[in-house]
Amino acid sequence: MSAFLDSDVPAEVLARARLGDTAAQAVIYQAFERPVRTLARRLVPGRAAAEDVAQDVFVEVLTRLDEYEGRGSFAGWVRSISVSKCLMHLRSPWRRGLSWVDALARQGPGEEPDDPASSCGADAVDLERALARLGETARAVVWLHDVEGYTHAEIGALLGGTASFSKSQLARAHERLRELLEPEGVVTPCMPVSTSC
Amino acid sequence: MHARLDQLLSLRDGEPVDGRVAAHVAGCDDCAAALSGASRLRDRLRALPPAVADDGRGWVDVQARLAARKRGLRRRATVASLAAAASVATLALLAALRFQESPTAPAAPAAATATAAVAELRTRSQALEAMLAALPERPAVARAATAVPIDNLESQVQWLDHQLSTSPDAMPPTQAERLWRDRVEVMNSLVQLRYVEAQRPVL
Repeated sequence: MSAFLDSDVPAEVLARARLGDTAAQAVIYQAFERPVRTLARRLVPGRAAAEDVAQDVFVEVLTRLDEYEGRGSFAGWVRSISVSKCLMHLRSPWRRGLSWVDALARQGPGEEPDDPASSCGADAVDLERALARLGETARAVVWLHDVEGYTHAEIGALLGGTASFSKSQLARAHERLRELLEPEGVVTPCMPVSTSC
Repeated sequence: MHARLDQLLSLRDGEPVDGRVAAHVAGCDDCAAALSGASRLRDRLRALPPAVADDGRGWVDVQARLAARKRGLRRRATVASLAAAASVATLALLAALRFQESPTAPAAPAAATATAAVAELRTRSQALEAMLAALPERPAVARAATAVPIDNLESQVQWLDHQLSTSPDAMPPTQAERLWRDRVEVMNSLVQLRYVEAQRPVL
């Protein structure tokens, strides 16, 4: 599940960070650094761009601490800012103008995971590569739904669409991932066909 | 007919699904296998390793960005107060000049043209604002070759905005046109420089 749910900081640290205490701000950074960077790496193409977005998230979080009113978890608040920043980056017309660079990068072997040795092995590497080959919207939907636990209605609203749009994107993402992970079509049932079981 | 993938995903997630579809999946080995596959894929996604912990540079960079942001806010506040003071002086000068002008001076014949031009310049200015907003935030550490001109241009935009927002109804159309034309030119330069800056980050 979402790594954000495992992270939190005491209210006393938040209070000190609001007053500009650098040590308290560093505690917040350390608590959320991995979930924020992981989310950015999954949603934003390109390692450098993802790291840049992740830093933007922390600047936003630390300068808007006064706006967190304690309703809902702080981790959820940080996550909503993170998701919003990532999607804003994907929607940016400036970045879209450079999308051919991303397309060029995708033609290559794809970026390797941070540390393959410490990952879950070849299985995880394959999955990360397959995920990286999805379209941006499909990748965002599958990650937000299957990992972060967002509902289709929430994802639809975030993407300026509907719950149905999110559902169809999720199905498309699963289909594509299955194709990429099982190129020989080991399991390919359940597409609309006219025969019965 | 087998269940569609979106129906299987709904079943997996406990969302409402047509009872006939659920009944079919319960009795169909192929559909049950696909449903199980969708669940496995979700589990594999959740089990992917997180990004490795950063080496400490991330926090240093965030602090640099925070400091740069604070400096930017302070500079804007200083420019705004300077602009306000200068504006008061300008208004006083304009009032003195008007006092010397004939009160029955005819309206400039170009007034109608200027008003139309202002509308067009406003639209262009808004489009440039949108382009600027779409650019990434400025790097914490920037090249002097672009940073200094960018700062100057931003100050000019703030100064022009202050001028334009001071008694806009009382401003003669020709003066408004001149200010808006200046603003479009400055914004145009700003967008170009910011674009260059964004494409060539400091190493």
